[in-house]
Amino acid sequence: MIPIPAELSAYRDITLTVNGRDHRVRVEPRTLLVDAIRDLVGLTGTHIGCDSTSCGACTVLLDDRPAKSCTVLAVQAEGSRVRTVESLAEPGVLHPLQRAFEDEFAFQCGYCTAGMLMSGLALYERDAPPGPDEIRRALVGNLCRCTGYEPIVAAIAKAIGDRASRPEDAEVRR
Amino acid sequence: MTTVHDRTRLTGRSLPRTRDREVLCGEGTYVGDVRLPGMLHATFYRSPHAHARITRLSLAKALDLPGVVLGLTADDLRDRVHDMKPFPFQSRDPFRGGNPAIKFADRVGLAQGKVRYVGEPVALIVAENRYVAEDALELVEAEYELLAPVLDAETGAGEDAPLLYEDWDDNVTLRFDVSGGDVDTAFADADVVVERTLRHHRFSGTPIEPRGVVARYDEAANALTVWTSSQIAHAVGVLLENSIKADKRVSVRVVTPRVGGGFGQKWGFYPEELVVPVGAMLAGRPVRWIETRREHMLATNHAREQTHHVSMALRRDGTILGLRDRIYADLGDAYPVGGLASIVTTPMFVPGAYRIENYEAHLFGVATNKTPFGAHRGFGKSEAAFCIERMMDEAARVLGLDPVAVRMRNFIPPEDFPYVCATGSRYDSGNYPGAMTRLVELLDYEGWRERQQAARAEGRLIGIGTILAIEPSSSTRMGSYNNGYYSVRVAMDPAGQVVVATGGSDEGQGHSTTIAQLVGDELGIDPEAVRVVEGDTDHTPYGSGSYSSRFSVVGTSAVTLASRKLAEKVRRIAAHLLEANVDDVDLVDGRASVRGTAGDSPETAVAVHDVARVAYHRIHDLPPEEEPGLELIYHYRDPNVDFPADERGRVAMFSSFPYSADGAVVEVDPETGQVKILSYVSVHDCGNHLNPKIVEGQHLGALAHGLGGALFEQFTYAPDGQPLNRQFREYLVPTAADMPPLTLEHIITPNPFTPGGYKGAGETGTVTPVPCLANAVEDAVRPAGGRIDRLPLTPRNVWTQLHREHAND
Repeated sequence: MIPIPAELSAYRDITLTVNGRDHRVRVEPRTLLVDAIRDLVGLTGTHIGCDSTSCGACTVLLDDRPAKSCTVLAVQAEGSRVRTVESLAEPGVLHPLQRAFEDEFAFQCGYCTAGMLMSGLALYERDAPPGPDEIRRALVGNLCRCTGYEPIVAAIAKAIGDRASRPEDAEVRR
Repeated sequence: MTTVHDRTRLTGRSLPRTRDREVLCGEGTYVGDVRLPGMLHATFYRSPHAHARITRLSLAKALDLPGVVLGLTADDLRDRVHDMKPFPFQSRDPFRGGNPAIKFADRVGLAQGKVRYVGEPVALIVAENRYVAEDALELVEAEYELLAPVLDAETGAGEDAPLLYEDWDDNVTLRFDVSGGDVDTAFADADVVVERTLRHHRFSGTPIEPRGVVARYDEAANALTVWTSSQIAHAVGVLLENSIKADKRVSVRVVTPRVGGGFGQKWGFYPEELVVPVGAMLAGRPVRWIETRREHMLATNHAREQTHHVSMALRRDGTILGLRDRIYADLGDAYPVGGLASIVTTPMFVPGAYRIENYEAHLFGVATNKTPFGAHRGFGKSEAAFCIERMMDEAARVLGLDPVAVRMRNFIPPEDFPYVCATGSRYDSGNYPGAMTRLVELLDYEGWRERQQAARAEGRLIGIGTILAIEPSSSTRMGSYNNGYYSVRVAMDPAGQVVVATGGSDEGQGHSTTIAQLVGDELGIDPEAVRVVEGDTDHTPYGSGSYSSRFSVVGTSAVTLASRKLAEKVRRIAAHLLEANVDDVDLVDGRASVRGTAGDSPETAVAVHDVARVAYHRIHDLPPEEEPGLELIYHYRDPNVDFPADERGRVAMFSSFPYSADGAVVEVDPETGQVKILSYVSVHDCGNHLNPKIVEGQHLGALAHGLGGALFEQFTYAPDGQPLNRQFREYLVPTAADMPPLTLEHIITPNPFTPGGYKGAGETGTVTPVPCLANAVEDAVRPAGGRIDRLPLTPRNVWTQLHREHAND
């Protein structure tokens, strides 16, 4: 937990609902959601790549919509459902998106991957399955310097395609 | 679940990267995820000016802020730090033979007296948390006397230029000359001499994970542990040990946990890697510094910026007789981040894929008031490729020949490999005409030439570019941290599980998978039984890390030969147990079995893990002359490099020569100068493929990098030296929607100097799009009088070529 000298600023206790669990955390008004998730809730799978809303490494779902958690204050997220990359896999079982990322070699260094998966998850959960061009457009806020994107687009398209053809998607051992 | 079936080899197959599954689950540990009890947080106060004398610097107010624990300036470091040791070259003295003459400045990691680029670290602030540390930056008091900045290498090299280092006689940090053949005669004999000045712009790799350092000092043990996002754990460790001034030499362990992309930006010894550990020693608590993106853009090395004054002597039929180049490289402030080694590479390889025996180049590396120039994927070769491939098109235009035909006439023929080039390197293998022929087919070159004519008649600007660029890999230099060897320790435990520790590192290349493939083949075991350790100086043999695609060349060779040697011991022990001749024992499917038998009985086969048990726990069953244990260290020395350079600067500096023939068709919007890629084809040869999907991913990712560099990415400076690209909003990298239609094909000429025949897959694609698209765009704008002599191919730069009345030059 980040120690915050009391004389510096007024801080407040808030409840963040992350991956279905409530976390009581003490934040400053200026504390960023990504810092609260990483340092106070203790989930470091969400990364920081630019601190300025450009790279998308910090993408989480905020009430099921992708949001860049470096540009949301923690206090603004109170009352919302936050989902992070840690929510995807069940114990021992990869989410179909994660499995597709593995099948398609859709990650290299892995630093952008959490954000890609969460942007991908928002697409995966859409009622109307998006096509590859729509996926590409939906990913413009997520930068990757390793893959050239095509494997990521292919993985998301594959997971969505599998879901459309087999609603009860077979699961793999993690 | 991967299983080994019969005799199918693991190498050459696309094994999935299951060992890296943790990154899919948000569980991998990057340096920013390291959490230590009592950890403090550091920020750096950085220079706001390009060139200035510091007249006052006070941290008093910053230190008064509650929560601030420590502040350091250069004055505080002088008793703590000898000075930062240079990297990668280890000496200030000119090297023997034709090695370059270099100047290094004394440094302690924080600015002393002067600042020389915006973003240079001036003071360290350490506080209880990051927010407080950032607040404190605003309380640092500094006053400056502004000095005229040096912002251009060529004028900066002149006698009248302001001096960055006042005890130097000029700003030229490095001079290097190399030559081969008889250039004067070649030019005297020429029918035509083509001259051009070509400017490569400044861009960089910008990994999504910025740099970061966490340091912990254990006073009782006098030991530092430093986690850093670096490609070179061991070099950072040694440089740090040599740089810290203490009564008793401090022992240093460096850990590079998961590294979120390197691309050369994490190949260097950065000031933060010295100052943060010193901060941890003084604070008596662990200290963490994580770079912001803004800091990254200002303080992590840039690359590429060079000007070439090049002239080519030709016969009328397009045969190249000779080549001269005079190169000015804009080094920024000359920190030890690999720029010197990078720029020396350029003149070695300007001749590229062509048989140009009469060649000379003169290189000037000039210190300027910009961010330090360092390594970047493509390391000096991108600039060389831009130069030669622009010149090939220019020669074709001047002579009225087809650019493909001019290339075909001058390619090094396949039968000439291994080919010793004019600057001394031995090109391992290749089939340049074959790759170009395939490119012409895949691109539909002839068809597009016809369609181009039709389009021009309609006023549309269609351009076609074709190039073939080499990407010399696996570098070595005497007296430097990059030497041509690779060390691997391989150990099989009594249960048959194997741990492979190397002096390399992984920034996303998938070593834990590919090493398991190599080891599995040699030992005949399930790759799931192989674990890989890299990036921890306490647990790996000394090595120079990952760069220059060297894993593919020396790394795979070391892993293969180390495991082969261990396999020989396994086979000797098994032969003894089976009472067979060692030459008849094969390691397959986890068993040592006698060849020609079914291998299904205790008389004809023994499990490898049972052999391991004997080696450790039943040593009375070993052959009498055999030592216990199954562990060894192997040092592989690259057979295709030389030391040192001769009197003309020639040396075999790189050992492997992957290449790619790329072609592009573009359409330029005459109204806006916007470039649209209609087709892009890459015919790539990186030798054999260890893991084809990983190879493809490396090449595709590299191409995205090169496309970004060609089209959007650049670091620019205002006339006062203020950098104009401080965030991704101002430094545009390709997004998923920017990727053009790509056709990739591989041809394979194996590297004859390595056991696996691999050449290196990750860098060629970064090199090729820049000249390819530059040629295509010039082809599009040339009828309107446009020329592409500078990069990147932004709408503004291209539009200016269509409306040259507005051009500055």
